[in-house]
Amino acid sequence: MSGFETRNQAAGRSNRAVTTALAAVLAMGAFGHALAAESDPDATVNIGSLYEPQNLDNTAGAGQGINEAFNGNVYEALFRLTDAGTVEPVLAKDTTVSEDGLTYTFTLQPGVTFHSGAPLTAKDVKFSIERVTAEASKSSRKNSLKTIAGIETPDDATVVVKLAARSISLPYNLSYVWVVNDEATDLQAKEDGTGPYALQEWRRGSSLAIARFDKYWGEKPKNGEVVFQYFTEATALNNALLTGSVDIITSVQSPDSLAQFKDNPEFTVSEGKSTTKLLLAYNDRVAPFDNVKVRKALARAIEDEKLLKAVWGDYGTLIGSFVPPTDAWYADLTKVDAYDPESAKALLKEAGYPDGFTFTIDTPNYDPHPIAAQFIQSELAKIGVKVEINVITANEWYTKIYKAHDFQATLQEHVNHRDIVFYGNPDFYWGYNNPKVVDLIKQAESSATDAEQAEKLKEANTIIAEDAASNWFYLYPQIAVSKTTVSGYPLNGLNSQFFAYGITKAVE
Amino acid sequence: MSDTPVVSAGARPKSSMPWPLMVGGLLVGLHLVIALLSLVWTPYAVGDMVGGRLEGPSFVHWAGTDRLGRDLMTQIMIGSRIALVVGCGAVALGALIGVTIGVLAAFATRTLDDVLAAALDILIAFPTLLLAMLIVASSDGASLWTAILAIGIAGSAIVARLTRILAKRILSMDYITAARISGTASPGIVRIHVLPNIWPTLIVNFALQFGLAVIAEASLSYLGLGAPPPNASWGRLLQEAQASVYTAPFGAIAPGLALVSLVIGLNLFADGLREAADPTRRRSR
Repeated sequence: MSGFETRNQAAGRSNRAVTTALAAVLAMGAFGHALAAESDPDATVNIGSLYEPQNLDNTAGAGQGINEAFNGNVYEALFRLTDAGTVEPVLAKDTTVSEDGLTYTFTLQPGVTFHSGAPLTAKDVKFSIERVTAEASKSSRKNSLKTIAGIETPDDATVVVKLAARSISLPYNLSYVWVVNDEATDLQAKEDGTGPYALQEWRRGSSLAIARFDKYWGEKPKNGEVVFQYFTEATALNNALLTGSVDIITSVQSPDSLAQFKDNPEFTVSEGKSTTKLLLAYNDRVAPFDNVKVRKALARAIEDEKLLKAVWGDYGTLIGSFVPPTDAWYADLTKVDAYDPESAKALLKEAGYPDGFTFTIDTPNYDPHPIAAQFIQSELAKIGVKVEINVITANEWYTKIYKAHDFQATLQEHVNHRDIVFYGNPDFYWGYNNPKVVDLIKQAESSATDAEQAEKLKEANTIIAEDAASNWFYLYPQIAVSKTTVSGYPLNGLNSQFFAYGITKAVE
Repeated sequence: MSDTPVVSAGARPKSSMPWPLMVGGLLVGLHLVIALLSLVWTPYAVGDMVGGRLEGPSFVHWAGTDRLGRDLMTQIMIGSRIALVVGCGAVALGALIGVTIGVLAAFATRTLDDVLAAALDILIAFPTLLLAMLIVASSDGASLWTAILAIGIAGSAIVARLTRILAKRILSMDYITAARISGTASPGIVRIHVLPNIWPTLIVNFALQFGLAVIAEASLSYLGLGAPPPNASWGRLLQEAQASVYTAPFGAIAPGLALVSLVIGLNLFADGLREAADPTRRRSR
C-alpha cells in the first residue's frame, strides 16, 4: 500500500511524545539514565508488544512490528529519524548535495561491519536501496523513493544518488532503508545488518530476542540483551507487566487500564503526543461532500474535545488539521471551524441543505471507531444530519474504501509521520483535489531548503484546514508504562521505532 | 385401531404450575415489560450524553454511564427490546423454515429424506455463529434484519431435524394408515394429526432456541455484526465496556446481568414447559 499506513496496519504505534525539554535531550541522542544508582550493563530488557512481525523483512510486508524491533537496533540506515523527529546521519558520515539538488554524494562511516563479519561497502548501500524500490518490494516507502534515477558506487566508501527531481525529503526517506549485506539470503527469517544488536532467536508467536553485537562500530548499548515479548491481547500484556514478565509496554491502548499502574510506585507511566490522528474522512468526490460548506458545517457541529475525553479521558491532544505539533509545518488550526452548531446550521442552509441530509459512515469494527461513530451520529443529529453507521472489518476497509473508493465517509486512524502529502494526491482514497494544494506539496518536495519546504507545507496545511478536507478530531496520546527500575527508552518512537540501545535496567 | 397413548392438543396439566415455569415466566415477563416500557419511556433519550465519563451507578443513572456519558440503564432497557425482537424474529423464522423442511422430509421418499437428513446434519455441525457471520458478511451491511435472518436460518436446522424425527414417529402410527385409507390427503394429515401431536415438544424447543438466539445476537453485536447503533444491544455494550472493565466494572456487569437473566429465564421457562406439556413426563410424576 503506497506510502500509507492506518493504525491497524501500522500496528507498531510507538509514537511516543515528550515534553519539550526531554525532546531536546533526546534529539542529541542522549537517552536518560536510570534514576537508580546501579545499572546492570548486561541486563536483559523485556519489552511487551502487541505487534509481532509476520517475517523479518520490511520490504516483504512484515508489518510495523518489525520496525519496532529492528529499526536502529538490528539494522541501520544512512540516516536516522530521531525520537524528537529530526533526521541525523548514521551510516552516512558526510553528505554533499550538488548545486541543483539532483546529486547526493554520501561518504560512508568507516570500520562498519555486518553481523556476519563482512565489511560495509558502497555496493551494500546500492543493493539495499534497490531492494526497497524493486518491483517486488512491498515497502510502504517505495513511492517516496521513486525520484531516484540512478545509484553509482565510484569506490567502496562513496555512494552517489542521482535524482530525477529535487527531493528535500531524501535523507528522511532514506532513514527507512535498512542497509543490508548484499550477500545476505533468506532475509525473511534471518538478518544481516550493522546495528548494535544481532538477532539471537525468533520464536514465532512468542518472542524475538536480540543481543548486543560486540563488534558494533558505534557506542555500545547500555544493556546486554533485548527480548520483545509478543501478546495478542492488551489485558494479557498489562498482566505481564504487573507480574514482572515484561519490563516495558511500548504503547498502552486505553486510559482505563492505566489506573492499575498510575498510583503504584513500582511503575512509571510516561505520556506524550504521537503522530496518530483520528479523522472522519469524507469522499470529497461525491455530493454532498464535494461542497466545502457542507464539510465546514460538519466540522463545526462536532465537539472534538468531548470525543477526546470520552475515548482518552485526560490524555491526547486536539488538532485542527492533519499535521501534528512535532512536524515543522505545524500551525495551530484548532480555531478553524471550531465547535459552533449554530453557524453549522446556517452553513448547511447556505449549501442548500436546510433540512440536513443522510449519509453513511463506514466504521472499522475496532476501538475507538464504533464509539466515535456513535458520538458523531448524536452530534450531527442536532443539526438535522442523519448518520447511518456501517461497521466493517479492516480488510473490508482496505478493499471497499482504500482501493475502490466506494464510500461516503469513513473513520480511520492515520499513523504516519509527515503524511500531509496524501492531500496532494487527488487519487488518494478521500479524493481531495485542490490544484493549489497539489502544487504546493509538489513545490515543497523540490524546495532547496528545509525552511522553504516548511513554509510551503504550512501554507498547504492551512488551505486544507480551511477547506475542511476531512474532519480531524484528535491526536492520540503515546503512553508507555515501565517498571521504575527501567529507563532510557524512547518516548516518541516516531513511525513505530523503538530504539533499545539506551535502555538501562537497575541491578535487582 | 391403535390404542397408542396420544394426547389431544390443548391438554393442560392438572397439577400446580412447575416452579421453573413460574420463575422463568417471571424473568421473561420482566424483560417483556421493560422492552414494552422502553417503547414509550426510557430514563433518557438513547444517544443523549447526559452524564460524565464512566460514572458508577447512582440515583440519577441507575446503571451508571458509558464513555460518552450516555445513561446505561436506558441502553440496557432498549437492549431488552432488541434481544426480544431478534429472539422472537429468529425463532419464528427458524420455526417456519424448520417445521416446513422437517415435515417435508418426513413425507419425502427414502433417497430425498436421506439427502435432507445429511444436509441438516452438516448444517447443525456448522457453528451457529460462523454461519450467522457468513450471512451478515454476504448481505449489504449488518442490521437488525440480517441478525434475525442469520440466527433464524442457523436455528432452523435444529428445528427441522427435530420436526423430521417427531413427524416420522407419528407417521408410522396405525391411525395415520387408517386416516390415509379413509381418504385424508397429506396436508390434512399434517394439520389434523402430525402438528397437534408434535407441538408440545416443538414449543419447548422453541423456548430453548429463543435463549440461544439471544446469546447469538449478543455475540454478533459483540463482534460488530449485529444491529448497528443507535440500537443498543447488550453485546455491543459489553464490547464497549471491555476496555474499562478495571475502572468501571459496572459497565460490563449491568448488561451481563441483563443477558444472563433473560437467558436463564428462557431456559427455566423451557424446562417448565417441558414438564407441563410433555405427556410422558407428566405421567411419570
